[in-house]
Amino acid sequence: MPLGLANLPSRQRRRDGGDPPTAQPMAIFDFTLPGAGAVLAVALALLTAPTCAAESADPMARGKAIYVEQCATCHGAEGQGESGAYEAELVGDASVGELAAVIGDTMPEGEPELCVDQDAKAVAQYIHETFYSEAARLRNRPPQQQLSRLTAEQLQQSLADMYEHFFGSAWTEKKRGLSANYFNAGRWDKDKLKVERIDPAVDFDFGREAPVEGVTPDEFYIHWAGSLRVDHTGRYEIVVRSTCSFKLRFGHRDNTLINNHVQSEGKTEFRKALNLIAGRQYPLLIDFTQRKRKTEMPPANISLCWVPPGGVEEVIPPENLVPATMPNTFALQAKLPPDDESYGYARGTSVNRQWEDAVTQAALEFGVAAEKELWPQYKRKHRKDSNENRQRLRDFLAELIGVAFRQPIDEETRKIYIDKQLDAVDDDGQAIRRVCLLAINSPRFLYPTLDQQAPASNRVATRLALTLYDSLPSDEWLLKEIQKDQLNPEQPDAREHIREVATRMTNDARLHGKVMEMFFHWLDVDPSAEITKDQDKFEGFDRALVLDLRRSLERSLSDVFWSDASDYRQLFVGDRVWTNQRLNEFYGPAWDPEESHDAFAMVRSKPAPGERYGVLTHPMVMSHLSYYDTTSPIHRGVFLIRRVLGRTLRPPNEAFTPINPELHPDLTTRERVILQTGESKCQVCHEKINGLGFTLENFDAVGRYRTTEKDKPIDATGGYVSQDGTQVDFGSAEDLARYLAESEDAQRAFVEVVFEHFVKQPLAAYGSETAERLVKQFRESDFNMRRLIVEVAVTAAIHPHQQEKANESA
Amino acid sequence: MNRREFLMRMGVSATAASLLAGLPSLAFGGSAAQRRRRLVFIFSPNGVIPDHFWPETTGKDYDIKRILSPLAEFQDQMLTIKGICNQIKGDGDGHMRGIGCLLTGIELFPGDVQGGSDTPAGWSMGISVDQHIKNRLQAQADTQTRFGSLEFGVMVPDRADTWTRMSYAGPNQPVAPISDPYQMFDKLYGQTKNRQMLASVLDDLAGDFKRVSKMLSTEDRQLLDRHLNMVRTVEKDLKTEFAAATKNDGVQHAVPKLPPNIEEQNDNMPQITEMQVELLVNSFLADFARVATFQITNSVGQPRMRWLDINEGHHGLSHEPDSNEDSYEKLIRINTWYAEQVAHMARRMKETPDPSGHGSLLDNTTIVWTNELGKGNSHTRNDIPFVMIGGGLDFRQGEAFDFKHVPHNRLLLSILEGFGMPEKTFGNPDFCGDGPLTGLI
Repeated sequence: MPLGLANLPSRQRRRDGGDPPTAQPMAIFDFTLPGAGAVLAVALALLTAPTCAAESADPMARGKAIYVEQCATCHGAEGQGESGAYEAELVGDASVGELAAVIGDTMPEGEPELCVDQDAKAVAQYIHETFYSEAARLRNRPPQQQLSRLTAEQLQQSLADMYEHFFGSAWTEKKRGLSANYFNAGRWDKDKLKVERIDPAVDFDFGREAPVEGVTPDEFYIHWAGSLRVDHTGRYEIVVRSTCSFKLRFGHRDNTLINNHVQSEGKTEFRKALNLIAGRQYPLLIDFTQRKRKTEMPPANISLCWVPPGGVEEVIPPENLVPATMPNTFALQAKLPPDDESYGYARGTSVNRQWEDAVTQAALEFGVAAEKELWPQYKRKHRKDSNENRQRLRDFLAELIGVAFRQPIDEETRKIYIDKQLDAVDDDGQAIRRVCLLAINSPRFLYPTLDQQAPASNRVATRLALTLYDSLPSDEWLLKEIQKDQLNPEQPDAREHIREVATRMTNDARLHGKVMEMFFHWLDVDPSAEITKDQDKFEGFDRALVLDLRRSLERSLSDVFWSDASDYRQLFVGDRVWTNQRLNEFYGPAWDPEESHDAFAMVRSKPAPGERYGVLTHPMVMSHLSYYDTTSPIHRGVFLIRRVLGRTLRPPNEAFTPINPELHPDLTTRERVILQTGESKCQVCHEKINGLGFTLENFDAVGRYRTTEKDKPIDATGGYVSQDGTQVDFGSAEDLARYLAESEDAQRAFVEVVFEHFVKQPLAAYGSETAERLVKQFRESDFNMRRLIVEVAVTAAIHPHQQEKANESA
Repeated sequence: MNRREFLMRMGVSATAASLLAGLPSLAFGGSAAQRRRRLVFIFSPNGVIPDHFWPETTGKDYDIKRILSPLAEFQDQMLTIKGICNQIKGDGDGHMRGIGCLLTGIELFPGDVQGGSDTPAGWSMGISVDQHIKNRLQAQADTQTRFGSLEFGVMVPDRADTWTRMSYAGPNQPVAPISDPYQMFDKLYGQTKNRQMLASVLDDLAGDFKRVSKMLSTEDRQLLDRHLNMVRTVEKDLKTEFAAATKNDGVQHAVPKLPPNIEEQNDNMPQITEMQVELLVNSFLADFARVATFQITNSVGQPRMRWLDINEGHHGLSHEPDSNEDSYEKLIRINTWYAEQVAHMARRMKETPDPSGHGSLLDNTTIVWTNELGKGNSHTRNDIPFVMIGGGLDFRQGEAFDFKHVPHNRLLLSILEGFGMPEKTFGNPDFCGDGPLTGLI
């Protein structure tokens, strides 16, 4: 059965105008960039390639005309039936051929000879595609909220919060780097603490010198403490290089990730790979000792590095380190299968064996953590409670399950999930694992919105946490709000209070993780994808530079998003960027830092008016939307029209290979694109695409600003026809940037992207008035993105599930 | 690879397997199976009291002293080997080199761990003999097992340093022993046990799915029903799997049952030792591994054997002069307790038939009981205790030897020879000059 089309991104239906409905997901371009000199076979991939509109329109139009003339009086204009004539709805599962045969033989009633052969076929095709078939009916149904299980991200985040619940939640720390204590002794000795400071990163080569003043070089101890902040979920490798004794504790104060207590000659590199989760802050402690000894001492050095997903090894940058040691946390290591993202956001709508087995693995893994880490912690805190009849264990499990199920547990649930399981095994550890296995596999945990019977405040909090953190309510203060029923929408001024709570929740690293994911999706940048460029033309554009670009983009986005105004328009018109020495050297004076700095740190650049327009022209975006050696105005145009302006495009008529630039050595990229897309059948779409894509021609394949190509001045003129039919002309990227900042099309598109990313349901399912209201509020807040997210969360939290509405009315 | 794994790799179903077993080319088990040679190194710390340890006579009719008395019942299958000296010099104190060079026969790297009055040191410069044998076994299809080797610990402190590591996978690569029996259990049986646990909760889970389902609209129920069907499929698959496993494996794959809630604490040491022995015996029975180390505490270990009414730590006592009669007596009793643990392991192996069909587990396993020192208060590494029980090596049995004063590398070479993997040198070649010891085989 084809995928249900009911929940296609609403933009496709709403803005499609006269186009026939298509089930194309968004940008489906293959960005594989082949090796040097190879012809770039970038297939504009098609799912179902329709034939040209001119050919296909014919039978459909003909069928429609005949239907209106000969059938609609009895069957209704949309096959809904007519009272007094043919009352039943005209629906079924006959094929077009079968329908055509029936129509040819029997219809119109009494005069079947009026519609036969090609006419019957045309009518059959028309009704089949428009309302008769199951696919057509799904297509025509208004979008709805759909029951979803937790996505992979949500499962990981929820488990992390269930764990953190017992240790306390992390907080927001503005400072960056790790706190460092330097001792003039071989171990922690308060009286011999010589220097206390924040080190932006750990990358030291002390040699045989003293690391700081007041410390002897032949014996010292340094304690670094803080947390590692992770912006993207994925596999990280932690790499420490050191010639001295050290221990690295990570995630949990008792968990020694790397133990080099014994310094042994030749053993200087230590690597550990692990899965880490976006928006989480992992406590990280290093005990580094240069020990006094009779024998020759090695020079002292240490560096704390990582290999982030898709990246190369680098010293862990200051922006990912905070000097506060956060509470213990948990990162699931079990591999989860990816979720369906065909609608532009992850959806937990499919259940299969692979996923089922992965959840079981996750439950087993969490069970071990619950036994070894949470239970001892609970016991410490409840030392005085009685454990008669394993009461303390029961209380612990009840608390754990209460958080997991996002509501108080009733007697029956307690019996099934706790009492029965404890009766089955004597060993406490086994019992905990068993309960976790059952609870994490339970629909009560896996389907967060299956909570019709939960108190109203629980339900609101569940949706806030799900929307803002992809997680569940676990913070002490939020649980108190629930307990006091302060989130009940029936309470006076409930909306205002819920908004306050959501606002408080936004100031959190967990939101940051989800926001970054949203921005990267919106900008069409896969943070872990490799970008390779022609080294003859772009020497120095290597993986290390790409990793710096990613850092720069993240800092730039973060800067705008977390500023007081959180002004969406700055994403287009900002004239600064975050830079460091490597980026500065590659991208030139426009990337000069505002003030002097050390080579590695990211700092704000000087403004570069006329050469930079927000994150829109950031090299990470521009190089992604380019080929190996040339720009791609088509990719850029498609990105702008679909992602940024939220318009739909039909896929191309067939897969094309771009013209090899070597065949036309004299043509600029713009000229080549015009040559290839000049035919009128192409121009239907390329008129829109090229007009937008050409305006970014000043940014070459690595996003460097240029004024000429092949000794010809860059022509960056272009244009756009807005949704309401207004023609806009652009002279350059600057005009485009200013237009996008103010364009209502772009604003609507952004609201929808934000909504669907955060809520993981189609915006249209919340009614057209919701979209209108959010756009209006966004505008009235001067395009404050954080406030938009708050409004989105409040909307999702209060808006009743359609089914409930139906239940109530029934 | 055992029979079941073999059949599974061939993709043979459970029913087909029982039919195929009748074919000569696929028949396993019974007398046709190859003998499985096994080796266990048991370590106990701080030297012994030699006068109450070593037999006074050599040869067949050797006498058994107080410390070895728990092993008397194995006299016919036992070897005591005196005169073996750990002569490795270089960095590290006596205890560090005592344990770090014991199975590696090579020096320690320079490093920063300072003990006693000698120079500081790091990890061993070479692989240990147990890991060497494991690698050789794992390289051959017919001797390959799931883990190759297992490293058991009993109350080894949770600290990675030269005194706590006996086994090395290579230079600078110490192998950490697992001291927590429950952790070892998870390593060995975790998957099986988890699957059994899953099977036992699925019924409750399915029941709750139905309760939840009642609250839903027809449309939402579809997804939940699909999910519930998946749960039912898992349940069915597990039943099939268990049925097949029971049919094919029988006793070999029985999962041992550990007593619940035993914390890793000094006073639980006797119970933990027993649990670890049980896991070791069962691992051999299931052919999870053919080599093991069994490290009771660590070099410089400080267990307080309160169950013997001894409240002082072992290492502290071991420094007392022989003239301190109280300590002397306590040290004899401590070492006798270690001997009892060795005897218990040997007894469990003796009463367990070897699944390969060749006698008992002990008939095919050699337990090598050793120590980092010869004697505690002198820190000598001469006359290091080496007592062997069982028939895993092609050694003579039921004799006492005294090699007077030979480097222990030669005994390591003998062990390799006895295991059918002769080498010219092992560890530092300078100590291997005369090759394996003569007379043992």
